[in-house]
Amino acid sequence: MQSISDQLNCRKRLRETGLYDPAFEHDSCGVGFVVNVNGEHSHQIVTDGITVLKNLAHRGAIGGDSRTGDGAGILVSIPHKFFQKECNKNSIALPQEGSYGVLMLFLSREENRQTQAKKLINSVILSEGGKILGYRDVPVFPECLGDMARQSMPYICQAIISFGSTSGNKLEHKLYIVRKCIERQARIHQFTIDDLYIPSCSSKTVVYKGMFVAPQLEEFYPDLNDPDFESCFSLVHQRYSTNTFPSWPLAQPFRYMAHNGEINTLRGNINKMTAREKNIHSKLFGDDTEKLLPVVEKNLSDSGIFDNVFELLCMGGRSAEHSMMMMVPETFGQRYHISEDKRSFFEFHAAIMEPWDGPAAIAFTDGIRIGATLDRNGLRPARYVITQNGKVVLASETGVLDIAPEDIQSKGRLAPGKMLIIDTEKKRVLFDNEIKASVSRQKPYRRWLEKNRIELKGLFGIPGPVDINDSNHHLRLLNVFGYTLEEISVVIKSMAENAQEPVLSMGNDAALAVLSDRPQLLYNYFKQLFAQVTNPPIDPYRENLVMSLMSFIGREKNLLDETPEHCHQIKLTHPVLSNDDIIKLRNIDTEGYRCCTLGLLFDISVGEKGLETALIELCKTAENKINEGYSLLILSDRGVDKTKAPIPALLATSTINHYLTKAKIRHLTGLIIETGEVRDVHHFATLIGYGASAVNPYMAFEILFDLKKKCKLDMRIETAVEHYITAVKKGLLKVMSKMGISTIRSYRGAQIFEAVGLNEQFINKYFPGTSSRIGGIGIQEIAHEVIERHSDAFAKNENELKVIDSGGNFHFRRNSEKHLYTAEAIALIHRAVREKNYSLYKEYAQHINNTSKNLCTLRGLFKFRKRESIPLEEIEPAESIVKRFVSSAMSFGSISKEAHETIAIAMNRLGAMSNSGEGGEDEERYNPLSNGDLKKSMIKQVASGRFGVTCNYLVNSAELQIKMAQGAKPGEGGQLAGLKVDETIARVRLSTPGVTLISPPPHHDIYSIEDLAQLIFDLKNANRDARVSVKLVAEAGVGTIAAGVAKGKADMVLISGHDGGTGNSPISSIKYAGIPWEIGLAETQQTLVLNNLRDRIRIQTDGQMRTGRDIVIASLLGAEEFGFGTASLVSLGCVMMRKCHLNTCPVGVATQDKKLRRKFCGKPEHLINFMMFVAQDVREIMAQLGFRNMDEMTGRVDILDVNSAIDHWKTKGLDFSRILTKPAVSPDTPLRCTGKQEHDFSMSIDNELIRKLIVSMDNKEKTTISMPIRNCNRTVGTALSSEISRRYGSNSLPHDSIRCKFKGSAGQSFGAFLAKGITFELEGDANDYLGKGLSGGKIIVFPDKKSHFRSHENIITGNVNLFGATGGSVFINGMAGERFAVRNSGATAVVEGVGDHGCEYMTGGVVVVLGRTGVNFAAGMSGGFVFVFDKDQLFDTKCNLEMVDIEPVTEKKDITLLKSLIKQHIKYTKSSHALYLLENWQETLPLFVKIMPIEYRSALARMKQFESKETEEITITEEVFR
Amino acid sequence: MGNTTGFLDHLRVTGTYRPVRSRLKDYKEFTNQLDQNMLKIQGSRCMDCGIPYCHAMGCPLGNLIPEWNDSVYNGNWREALIRLESTNNLPEITGRICPAPCEASCTLSINDAPVTLKQIELAIIEYGFNQGWISASPPEVETGKKVAVIGSGPAGLAAAQQLRRFGHSVTVYEKSEKAGGILRYGIPDFKLEKWVIDRRLNQMYDEGVQFETNVNIGKDISARYLKKNFDAILITMGAGEPRNLDIEGRKLNGVHFAMEYLIESNKLISGEIAASQQKINAKGKNILVIGGGDTGSDCVGTANRQGASQVYQFEIMPKPLEWKESWNPNWPYWPLILRTSSSHEEGCKRDWSVQTSRFIGKNGKIEEVEFVRVKWEQTKENGVPKPVEIPGSKFSLKIDLVFLATGFLHIEHNKFLEDLELKLDQRGNVMLDENFSTSSPGVFVAGDSATGASLVVRAISHGRKAAEAINQQLKSL
Repeated sequence: MQSISDQLNCRKRLRETGLYDPAFEHDSCGVGFVVNVNGEHSHQIVTDGITVLKNLAHRGAIGGDSRTGDGAGILVSIPHKFFQKECNKNSIALPQEGSYGVLMLFLSREENRQTQAKKLINSVILSEGGKILGYRDVPVFPECLGDMARQSMPYICQAIISFGSTSGNKLEHKLYIVRKCIERQARIHQFTIDDLYIPSCSSKTVVYKGMFVAPQLEEFYPDLNDPDFESCFSLVHQRYSTNTFPSWPLAQPFRYMAHNGEINTLRGNINKMTAREKNIHSKLFGDDTEKLLPVVEKNLSDSGIFDNVFELLCMGGRSAEHSMMMMVPETFGQRYHISEDKRSFFEFHAAIMEPWDGPAAIAFTDGIRIGATLDRNGLRPARYVITQNGKVVLASETGVLDIAPEDIQSKGRLAPGKMLIIDTEKKRVLFDNEIKASVSRQKPYRRWLEKNRIELKGLFGIPGPVDINDSNHHLRLLNVFGYTLEEISVVIKSMAENAQEPVLSMGNDAALAVLSDRPQLLYNYFKQLFAQVTNPPIDPYRENLVMSLMSFIGREKNLLDETPEHCHQIKLTHPVLSNDDIIKLRNIDTEGYRCCTLGLLFDISVGEKGLETALIELCKTAENKINEGYSLLILSDRGVDKTKAPIPALLATSTINHYLTKAKIRHLTGLIIETGEVRDVHHFATLIGYGASAVNPYMAFEILFDLKKKCKLDMRIETAVEHYITAVKKGLLKVMSKMGISTIRSYRGAQIFEAVGLNEQFINKYFPGTSSRIGGIGIQEIAHEVIERHSDAFAKNENELKVIDSGGNFHFRRNSEKHLYTAEAIALIHRAVREKNYSLYKEYAQHINNTSKNLCTLRGLFKFRKRESIPLEEIEPAESIVKRFVSSAMSFGSISKEAHETIAIAMNRLGAMSNSGEGGEDEERYNPLSNGDLKKSMIKQVASGRFGVTCNYLVNSAELQIKMAQGAKPGEGGQLAGLKVDETIARVRLSTPGVTLISPPPHHDIYSIEDLAQLIFDLKNANRDARVSVKLVAEAGVGTIAAGVAKGKADMVLISGHDGGTGNSPISSIKYAGIPWEIGLAETQQTLVLNNLRDRIRIQTDGQMRTGRDIVIASLLGAEEFGFGTASLVSLGCVMMRKCHLNTCPVGVATQDKKLRRKFCGKPEHLINFMMFVAQDVREIMAQLGFRNMDEMTGRVDILDVNSAIDHWKTKGLDFSRILTKPAVSPDTPLRCTGKQEHDFSMSIDNELIRKLIVSMDNKEKTTISMPIRNCNRTVGTALSSEISRRYGSNSLPHDSIRCKFKGSAGQSFGAFLAKGITFELEGDANDYLGKGLSGGKIIVFPDKKSHFRSHENIITGNVNLFGATGGSVFINGMAGERFAVRNSGATAVVEGVGDHGCEYMTGGVVVVLGRTGVNFAAGMSGGFVFVFDKDQLFDTKCNLEMVDIEPVTEKKDITLLKSLIKQHIKYTKSSHALYLLENWQETLPLFVKIMPIEYRSALARMKQFESKETEEITITEEVFR
Repeated sequence: MGNTTGFLDHLRVTGTYRPVRSRLKDYKEFTNQLDQNMLKIQGSRCMDCGIPYCHAMGCPLGNLIPEWNDSVYNGNWREALIRLESTNNLPEITGRICPAPCEASCTLSINDAPVTLKQIELAIIEYGFNQGWISASPPEVETGKKVAVIGSGPAGLAAAQQLRRFGHSVTVYEKSEKAGGILRYGIPDFKLEKWVIDRRLNQMYDEGVQFETNVNIGKDISARYLKKNFDAILITMGAGEPRNLDIEGRKLNGVHFAMEYLIESNKLISGEIAASQQKINAKGKNILVIGGGDTGSDCVGTANRQGASQVYQFEIMPKPLEWKESWNPNWPYWPLILRTSSSHEEGCKRDWSVQTSRFIGKNGKIEEVEFVRVKWEQTKENGVPKPVEIPGSKFSLKIDLVFLATGFLHIEHNKFLEDLELKLDQRGNVMLDENFSTSSPGVFVAGDSATGASLVVRAISHGRKAAEAINQQLKSL
């Protein structure tokens, strides 16, 4: 075994040569605090904090050595008594409480280095006028640590500092300056964060943290066990990171806060902070202000950087809550019912600072006050309890600290965007309203805004017509900017007609931009990043109320001050400018505002060099103009002529943005891009993502005008333009949302892209901070592409100009873009599989692999190194190789029943596995056919929609796959239009025919990596024999996510290429999101191997797999298994029509049309032949390479080399060394999975339940048992349910057969997938995911009988209850958190209040809410119905009315149902509130409303109509709904 | 794509033919074209495939078929024309006589009936001419480079027009009286009326292409002269050397190569020669056409129009698969199925697996032909099937005229080729590299001269590509 330090070195090397980059790391976690409201110090508070931490331990993760945690820590108020004692021991004269600071230090363990560090520290303190009273070595117990943690452990000590008699805030300021100066000096003297780091430096607080799993914290720091170690609060944090570098400094809490979340917009936030530094002034710090810079420390995590900025704002004079409201503002859109003053506060601050966007639960403290806040989406849980005797406990989960029920004053949860503060000085708990009311009225922000904000009159009015004066010039410009017929008719026209981006189907098999022979726009080299696992994407359609495209542009003022002039900026409601808007901006005439235009053109006579020179000049001009006082710069490429070509707008934008940021003047101007280049959503997104304030796409408008002129647009031109802009706006929201970003203010400049095919030099110079890992072209080639288009355009005569290039990007065209699948290849493979002709297959393979003619993929550039070959007979047989093949996930619904079942039969015959896709599966298919064939899909997918995911579905599988993303549209949801939902599909998906089915972008039970671990745990419980896999899509950082997945105990991780297929995706998503699997797979393999995680998890990969060569390459790069999606379909007759989204597949593969389905001619044999051919092909290559079996070959990346024979002008700069790097680990380190995940069911109580209940289960006897429960007992009831489903299928036990009574706080996923026949009764409260996937069981929850609080005003169960429930019932005597009954498709629930987004995407079932609801109720709800007791009659303002109507409850049927449900609720829970309602039925009934989905109503009506007709022997067919 | 379900809603409809009796009376074309509304519906059947096999595999020219289908469906005829002309110099020719491999590979040919691509193509170009949209498009800049094109068949015409549009000075040499090559002299009027060619030639004249007819290169003008005076020479002389049937009696009067017969007939109809000069007349005679291909079929149609009393067409190969379905059993490839041409419908006795054993004559003139039936057997040596006589299957027929339509071997090996000392391939075609260059620098070749006899559409495609290659080379000079 290699030594740890070797490993660390190896990591460092890999960081330089491989694909791993620490910047990709994510973390999220459990967070919590305990505080004594009265500010009384006690050791108990510290002990309580540690208990909370331990009870959150399952939210953390453990590294490859099984003992190293990802980090944990505690932040407490300075334990004066303790320090007194300790200082006495060390003969340090400790001043009185509050007049000294404690400097906590992590120093290098090397003595020399330590001495140097201390010297540096001493001198800084001295020069700042302070004095070190003494150092104290912090006692530690390293023996408790894991190897990796111990190896990287720093030397830990504390310094006591005093500034004479200075105390209070003044002392804090001094300490702040001291710390910043030490940090600055340290970096100057080459101390890294690992040699010198200051966890805290304050007179109020101190932080103890490290690389721990929770229980190690107190063991490691004996200080914490000292009874004199007293505090009035303790703030704790348990980290779960995808982290691969053990890092002590990155453990949390930081100095002011602990963060459960992710800052998605970090890059932009940092850049903007840097720019602002130039005019930061603080009256408090005076000349010392400069010492506070740079604000952001290097090499910190997102949370650490957040802490830096938060600190600056607080120190600069704003209160903690004010600072927090600036950095994590809640939503203030018009759809929220909030005070105008508050709205103005947020709008005013939008002009000062952009949000630090991302899911977040943040606990923070300034030493006196401690509080917590949630991001606007509420994507992290925070539950609190306030006790009668003045204690407040807040944590990610409830039940983390035992509190006697009778002592509880109230229970609650933080709602999205809300805050809670405990002021230990005022000895009060402050709730959100009080906090925000006072902050938002401390200055007259509303008046300031009204007077100063600039809203150009007419801006964003209805755009006027655009004229084309010279049609030849117009045509020439089309050429110069590379427009194709396809873009005009498929993209631009369709955006104008439908006001949304067009959709397409099948994957992207066109050549990568850097491999294309055709001149590419720079945008095409950039791929959108997206959220997967570590943070959730947002639904930009159903939840757009939390999103905003509004921003201020212009000149920003001093960050540390606030004046009316701060908001003297132009307010843009969105960033797409019409031509009229541009004119208005050019002529802007408002005090202090001046606008000028810079030309985005370069002289082609100078050749390719001209571009570079022009950029340099452009930057200088921009700088001068800003210094001259211009606050708006328009960069315009109007004016292209024979000698002048346009500078790529993206290049110019990013260059100038970075130049100005570096010069620290970027915040002094708005950057408006007027360009003919942009047309699709991705173009806008990249421009804005690299810093553009607003964009005017004048050529797109000209094209619309031209189309109108040619009578190709059947609408007014004004409408067309408006629609086009709307489409762009929607698209931008979508692109932002897939990264989980809510506002354009923080998206701007956030650089959420990675580059594929651009070289390092180029990236570092023009797009710094962007990841680009395989090298590629540079400025010269880019100039070449521009010049080529330009000279081509000006060489054409009038007739040639008229022939606009076809494009061929989406639909194949000869002489246009290359595609992997050609007509010839399809024809060959069809014949090969039908005739079982291997030599035809070989011809096909040769055709696909022929990279000299058809270079589309990265692997096309690889070749195998020569090795000694071995005879074919010695190679593992094809029958065995083929078992590693799977058919990729394709849902029944996206492809026809015939195709879906044929695939399943074929794969089962091969002993391989097929994948159900996300559409559920007909239970009929679980039974073998008479000929022995099996139509069951062995892999069952669990996707965000959870369609048909029942206990029985889960039991009937060999693998459960959690689909986090899909190659064709990572980060996005889907929608199956009602007209496609026929009776069969509806049955399988457990919904109603004719009702639209929506798959949300995120899994609502996976907002973070620890949530994923939780779902994996759930699924393992649901079927212990099935392996659990997680499907990811390749992007920068996928390796670190895979490491997180491995730590989360998945058995297999699937790395999908960006080019995977789809039945229906927006064009820009198919084309521009994600990267090739070659990179993602290599990164995953490298990261897992390095972290000793590889041996416990298998890797599968898919994405345009075609031939044996592809498989061998994937295997050498580290994959054990391989998926075929499109290729499977092609072997069954698919001809790449790309019409799946239109339901018109002419070969019956991807259609539900009965007529067309009859044309399906695929046979299981065809697919079998294909798979066997590929396996045979693999064998032949293995023989040539001398590998006897696949295991030997896995991960042998050293066998791959770059084929230098391929000569292509653009590929010369490609550098695959990072992909082809083999981690330098010892030879015995496994390169493939050799072991198994160890699942820890020790806290699970299902084993006991099963043991006790198995007899009655078998005998179908009624039984009742009782048990205590606590938050560590997670996923209770799921394994029990799986036992029932195994025995009885979906036709389960009679209701209430098994009754289990629990008392206490239930852990997450209480009663998940609970099968029919089981009844759970919980006295106490529950955490998130109660009743997830409920499959017929019954859950009853009520507060402890001894508790006093009013049930319908207190939270007793967490977020996302009943997610994906398919049947059963739930009765909750209390309020539930956010997202109650999301994606419910059949369960009945009674609850006394719910948070935001209740009943979202619901498609069936009945929900009764006897109290208040949050906002956005019933968004995307297409089926089922809800009764709400609308006491204030304000419900309609909270309900999302897009898909539902609100009706009074007047129909007798409804009244009877409602009444009976309330009666049951009373019976089960003894709810006094419900009893009150029923007792006053006359008065309360009229206040009830019924929420009815519009589509559902008509679907029901239609069914009723056909029910009567059916007696006349007319069956319901799908045509009925067309 | 305008109509996503067009192919589900509408059936394939093609233009009808004039009745046989009527069409036999003249040499005029006989297809009735559909009206524009009908064509629009037919255009809507196009599915705008992800991979349009018609364009990608079927059409050698890579015609942008889905694009013009869509334009026709949407009534944008002008745009359809722009897309059509961008890949095809002679759509009015291919629209009439192309066997339409595009339709064979149309995705609808998998299990339905293909879109009527050929008739849409013809309609677009004819509408374009009618509307006066087709005008000369001379180059804006002259390059000063000179190119000689030898032969004015489809390859030569396409190449010449392209080269001219690139700005080169182009001279086309033609040995016959008029330009057009096989289009004019090989194809009967009832399939392609000659004004169609003249109309296109007029456009080329206007664009500045120079035509020198009645010039026999190698005789009237030497190769040396051409090489001296032109920057590039492109050989597009076709594959004029017919395959002979060297059996007993071949020398008898009345045994002709098909092309002799067709050329004479075509010249007669156009008035290039007078009726008195006619040497081969089928009127009242028993005609035997040997060879079952298109040339043979043209002989059948011509003979019937001349008033033959009986026409036989025999083929040595076995009878192909009879196929009545509208879909293609060999999709997306060209299906080898029994095809019945319009000429066959006009009256003809066809037979297969028949080998002609000898011609029997009297006074040097043919009177009778003797045949034997064969069956095809796999040979042991190389697996290539070989005909084997069936014992006792001999039979004979009274025949007055025999036309040998047994295919073409290669380009005529004349003095010009000898002078240039061009390398030939095994089959006798002119050898070329990927830049269409022959073994002699500056001399290029395209069309049947290089590939052997093939379809007109392939010749056009080859000619265009050669022009592109020549242009590249001239640019670098």
